[in-house]
Amino acid sequence: MEIKVIKNILGENDRFAAENMALFKDKNVFVVNFMGSPGAGKTSVLERTMEKLGSTLRMAVIEGDLFTSKDADRIDKYGVPVIQINTAGGCHLDANMVQKTAKDIDLDALDLLVIENVGNLVCPAEFALGEDARAVVLSVTEGDDKPMKYPLMFKESEIALINKIDLAPYCNFDRKSAKEDIEMLHPGIVVQEVSCTTGEGIDAWCDWLKAGVAKKKGQ
Amino acid sequence: MCKECGCGETNGNTRLQFTVEGYTEELAKDVEKALFGLPGVLFVHIHAHDGETTVDYAPKKTKLMDILGVFQKRGLEAQL
Repeated sequence: MEIKVIKNILGENDRFAAENMALFKDKNVFVVNFMGSPGAGKTSVLERTMEKLGSTLRMAVIEGDLFTSKDADRIDKYGVPVIQINTAGGCHLDANMVQKTAKDIDLDALDLLVIENVGNLVCPAEFALGEDARAVVLSVTEGDDKPMKYPLMFKESEIALINKIDLAPYCNFDRKSAKEDIEMLHPGIVVQEVSCTTGEGIDAWCDWLKAGVAKKKGQ
Repeated sequence: MCKECGCGETNGNTRLQFTVEGYTEELAKDVEKALFGLPGVLFVHIHAHDGETTVDYAPKKTKLMDILGVFQKRGLEAQL
């Protein structure tokens, strides 16, 4: 009789994630797994972040995308080291991909590494990459019902950015309801409204990142 | 969840249905909030009028006793 051996994909991923975490700890680099739907504004938030923190923090970005390097091209314009991972249709980054990529980054020269995951509100939440924290970007154009529809993403994230908040009045987006749902799913999560157009909330988000970097460095 | 990467097949969540006695509308909302706040709880649905309470959760992250504790703490009796 043939006995099937089923490989635990997540178990394998967790092993790589643990190795990544040890590496990032050794290098004192604060690592953020940056997640959200396609079009939520993840890259736009990173652009505003680089404008604010580019001169105070040494930062690099790993860009996850299915096929193109469009997001990496945008990051590159800010002079921040960026490496593109194309998943060739894969719906999330995994820890092995990050491990291979991290070898090409000078971690000794970094304070902060942001890993922008593939645009997807489902799968990335299930795959640890070895990060210190997870951040999810939800935009008001997606609707205030998304936290309850995609609960794992919000349960697994330390901070939720509600982006495009300047458009809230035009999108029938109930800010109170969305915030309450997120906080119900994950008591203690930081919820921050932001707008890449007006700049609202970007300072608070950057302060959160700076606090993470300081904590990682034991300051 | 996603069939493309198979993550929905391996996330190990399980769904339980309880019958709970003693709900008021307020208590039901309170229980819903408390259950959602537990690690790994992804779905809660409560019919306050007949006590039917459905919970989707990850046993690796939250023990059944923790879920039962939510009911007990509020003086509610829950049966599977």
